[in-house]
Amino acid sequence: MPEIEIHLHVNKRKVTWRVHPGETLLEALHAHHFKGTKLICGTGDCCGCGILLDGRSINACCMLAVQANGSDVLTIEGLAHNGKLHPIQEAFAEEGAAQCGYCTPGFIMRTYAFLQEHPHPDEAEIRAALAGNICRCTGYVKPVAAVLRAAMLMEEASS
Amino acid sequence: MLKIGAYHSPTELTQAVSLLAGEGRTVIAGGTDLLVNPRYMVGIREVVDIRNLGLDYIREEHDWLHIGAGATMRMVARHPKIQALANGILARSAAVCGSPNIRNMATLAGNVASALPSADTPPSLLALDALVVLVGIQGERIVPLESFFVGPAKSIREREFIRELRISMDNFDSLRGGFYKIGRTSEDISMVNAATTLMIKNNTITAAHLVLGAVAPVPLRVKIAEEALLGQAPTEEAFQKAAEIVFTEVRPISDQRASAEYRRRMSKVAAMRALRQAAGLAAPGEEWRHA
Repeated sequence: MPEIEIHLHVNKRKVTWRVHPGETLLEALHAHHFKGTKLICGTGDCCGCGILLDGRSINACCMLAVQANGSDVLTIEGLAHNGKLHPIQEAFAEEGAAQCGYCTPGFIMRTYAFLQEHPHPDEAEIRAALAGNICRCTGYVKPVAAVLRAAMLMEEASS
Repeated sequence: MLKIGAYHSPTELTQAVSLLAGEGRTVIAGGTDLLVNPRYMVGIREVVDIRNLGLDYIREEHDWLHIGAGATMRMVARHPKIQALANGILARSAAVCGSPNIRNMATLAGNVASALPSADTPPSLLALDALVVLVGIQGERIVPLESFFVGPAKSIREREFIRELRISMDNFDSLRGGFYKIGRTSEDISMVNAATTLMIKNNTITAAHLVLGAVAPVPLRVKIAEEALLGQAPTEEAFQKAAEIVFTEVRPISDQRASAEYRRRMSKVAAMRALRQAAGLAAPGEEWRHA
């Protein structure tokens, strides 16, 4: 199969990748060692492969890598800065908002996109925002607390 | 990895059309149906991406609302004019389609093109008398959405793609609507959904559309129920009668989401709740608040 050259930014770094036409963006990320983004259902139902594409949270399993040509991709690996966790990551750790942890990158990336738009969310808004993220361990209480804490930490950091 | 041999990303409509005329090619936009449902990839070797044709618009022109093929569910759900049209039934059905991540990619036109009977938005579009603008090598044709669906995942579309959907705004001020979805979870596709639009003058129903989703091979306009509503006052009794007709007219199947019997009973409930909203007997939801 012919390969296609694509140019994109991944976590603010410019990269050129050679991808197959049928390769999903998730597969391309894994092939280039961005393994924090998880494959769980592979059918767009669980948001476990959530990333940001040009600032919007999407599922990397149901888009082609070639479709990301020219885009800005942000993955879980891009959140920490200078060895310091992002406030959302810190909040998830402090609240213990992970059981097996496999779905956590998806929760965190969705939270990142959500808090950009709703910096002061209430609980109902958080539950609606995370409604698509499925945790097979059924941990749905602590992530809500983590998002509330993250919103607080981010506000403190920006003031 | 999907067995796709080539990816095309045309920037001109004419290019897209001639590419689609070739054997074994299909359209991709959001990709959230195409890439995860093997039924759409049977016999397909190449994909034609229509996202670079400048079709990601929603605009109003000459009393028509034009929704381009690239407009995402998020755009539709958040559009103020669509939220104001017939109690926002289209915005609301777009707002309950999948998860936030899906709504950022999935397009309204794609939801139509996939032609699944359980899709969330076609009932609202049918209740609003939407038109479908199809383009292909033979040129452009504009067809009522009502004649678009043929069966599960089957439509009249042949080596064509939906350029845009159109909705008349002629009755913007007087059209009232209702939408009700019964889903297994908030993110799942509908087990049953209902959309309605009514025109009410002097306490009399002068026009009615009542459409049920996920209860027949195609989104179903229940015309006998619509006729039963005409000339009636918009009351519980009139709606009960219409809902009874819905109950007998639907042709649901049993699947992993619900049994045929459950769907039949719920079709009555969904129709009733949608009709109440249109008549002001129940508050319409504001599902877009979380979209």
